[in-house]
Amino acid sequence: MKSNSRKIWEKPWDYAEGFIVAAGIAIAGFLLQFSLGTIIPSEFGFPINILIGALFIVGLLCCHFFFKNTHIIKWLSSIRATIPSLVVLLVIVIILGLTPQFSAYEHDAHLPNNLFKKLGWYQMVNSWAFILLSFYMLAILGFSTLRMTTKPNSWRSIGFYLNHLGLFIAYFAGIIGSADMQRLTMNVKEGQVEWRASDLLGEVHELPIAIELDTFKIEEYLPKLVVIDTHTGKILPEGRPDSYMYEGDGKTTNLAGYDVEVLEYMPSVAVIQDSTSSNVVPFYMDGASVALRVRVTSPTMTTPVEGWVSNGSYMFPYQVLYINEDVSVAMPIQEVKKYTSHVKVFTEGGKQTETTIEVNKPFTTGDWIIYQYSYDDAMGKYSKISVFELVRDPWLKVVYTGIFMLLAGSLFLFVVGPKKQKK
Amino acid sequence: MNWDHFIYFAIGSVLLWVIASVLAFKSKKKIAPTLLTLAGLIIFFSFILALWQSLERPPLRTMGETRLWYSFFLPVAGLITYQRWGYKWILSFSTILSTVFIIVNIVKPDIHNKVLMPALQSPWFAPHVIIYMFSYAILGAVTLVAIYYIIREKKISDKNKIMNMTDNLVYVGTAFITMGMLMGAIWAKAAWGHYWSWDPKETWAAATWLGYLLYIHYRLRGRSTNKNSMVLLLFAFLLLQMCWYGVNYLPSAKGSVHAYSTN
Ligand code: HEM
Repeated sequence: MKSNSRKIWEKPWDYAEGFIVAAGIAIAGFLLQFSLGTIIPSEFGFPINILIGALFIVGLLCCHFFFKNTHIIKWLSSIRATIPSLVVLLVIVIILGLTPQFSAYEHDAHLPNNLFKKLGWYQMVNSWAFILLSFYMLAILGFSTLRMTTKPNSWRSIGFYLNHLGLFIAYFAGIIGSADMQRLTMNVKEGQVEWRASDLLGEVHELPIAIELDTFKIEEYLPKLVVIDTHTGKILPEGRPDSYMYEGDGKTTNLAGYDVEVLEYMPSVAVIQDSTSSNVVPFYMDGASVALRVRVTSPTMTTPVEGWVSNGSYMFPYQVLYINEDVSVAMPIQEVKKYTSHVKVFTEGGKQTETTIEVNKPFTTGDWIIYQYSYDDAMGKYSKISVFELVRDPWLKVVYTGIFMLLAGSLFLFVVGPKKQKK
Repeated sequence: MNWDHFIYFAIGSVLLWVIASVLAFKSKKKIAPTLLTLAGLIIFFSFILALWQSLERPPLRTMGETRLWYSFFLPVAGLITYQRWGYKWILSFSTILSTVFIIVNIVKPDIHNKVLMPALQSPWFAPHVIIYMFSYAILGAVTLVAIYYIIREKKISDKNKIMNMTDNLVYVGTAFITMGMLMGAIWAKAAWGHYWSWDPKETWAAATWLGYLLYIHYRLRGRSTNKNSMVLLLFAFLLLQMCWYGVNYLPSAKGSVHAYSTN
């Protein structure tokens, strides 16, 4: 690199050079993005990522062992290079936080078509600028950690190694490993066995594992009542929507100025509507909906209004209770408390495991982790389909090693605190 | 027990904290201010516990509920700082800041709501949010110090003392946001299948973290100036605001997996 200003590249390099280098890397990244487009992680999967990663690590080690006394490696392992690299990375992260983000596999036509797209800002974590800067930061992190081994160490240094090496391991494995990560979704019908799953592009993969869905159950919270504006459907009072969850028959609540008394709760009903009236009768089969009989009073009303409110199901319509022309009582769709799939998981070796899978309670088998992901929305709690997400991330253990080192390092940060500075 | 009862607990706690702050200036011994602050904290925490009981879930989901913890942890952070480094004024600072958040919660309580969606039903949920709230409290206190320093720089006689204190607090705060963030990552793996998805909330958490890392590294060099360090702290706290609630207003954050406060 050349510059007509002699002062700037004069040794020893400081923050100014650091900013030029870091910003230069970002700009080079944007230019590469123009010509090469977004980085598709799967194109860098095993063994390419291993190769790149190994070259990077060997490169770092060689530079350290053969050139550690050169000016540039000294600078790269110092705070003078660190601060600018973190600042530029922070700028990129802020841009990332301000622009809507899309997956690297998103169809090109779905992205807003403007300059930001060409720079890669809508797929920032898969953009050249982000990846190149990340490797630059990793290099500084690596060099500074290696440099520390040549200095006199005290027990304080344990914190330094845990934080810096931990971050290096987690971040490095996170980036390299993202290329090998597979995320597939699998729809399984009750009573059936499935071994095919599709990826983000909709491509179907045959897996070495199969899942048989015995039962799928949804547990819901108790129904809620709200008062809505009949014309807009908005929950009242406007701007501060209020709701009441059923707590027992005979209880009264105040919603948007109306006293709503719950007279009766029926958890399993059919709602029958004809042209003039509607009726609610007990119904104990799939498709049944929930109903509450309520009485509404308020100081402004001459007579109370009484009737059934229901949120319907795929079989029955919902039912609101009109207080007057503008306002009515309604029951929103109940929130899901828990959904559980009882499954048998078969692996290629002929192993068979019976287990339950819930949100936050995935099932691990070999390299794969199986998550409860979704169900058939249209059928609601009567869904006969459970949707699983299957994730394979061979680098997870490495990333976790780094994360736990960082956790230990943060304890050091807390207990040991800063070096006392004398100025 | 619900938000209607909050005001009584709040008045009791704030009264005790105010007395403790005044005594911290008056008396040489730390024992009375410490005990009074503790008493206030116990009263405040009993409200949190009672609310927890009546909601049948930890009160950590809505903005109002996180503000509740924030008001609780500010005096905790103040008390730890007071005990560890003996700064007399920190209790007044934490009391004022905590009171502001208490008033916000009295004026604008969140609606009583028992619902906790499946993704939040995790053993990591409570420690993740509580640790974050604790670090926000510490970093809030350090931000006040930074503002104080920037405004009165010329009049401060012992600059080193104040810089040492800021360093101490930032190390503690950063240690805890690091823990909160990593616990979040481990939880995200169990709930959503990946430990880090660059979702807007995660992105701003990373930005905040980078902001405080910058401060820590910038301060390592003798050539750093006090003023720049303090300005950096203000900036980092702005990033923290984005992470805490700013993301709720970002168009890019629509559909974020972390937006729970919608009804
Ligand atoms: C987990 C995040 C990090 C934490 C908690 C952290 C913390 C620290 C601490 C406390 C020190 C002082 C060490 C001591 O003297 O005992 C330090 C030094 C240093 N850090 Fe970091 N750091 C982190 C990330 C980074 C990153 C990402 C880089 C580079 C890109 C970096 C580069 C350096 C350098 C060059 C030093 C100076 C080492 C020396 O004393 O010569 N750090 N860091």
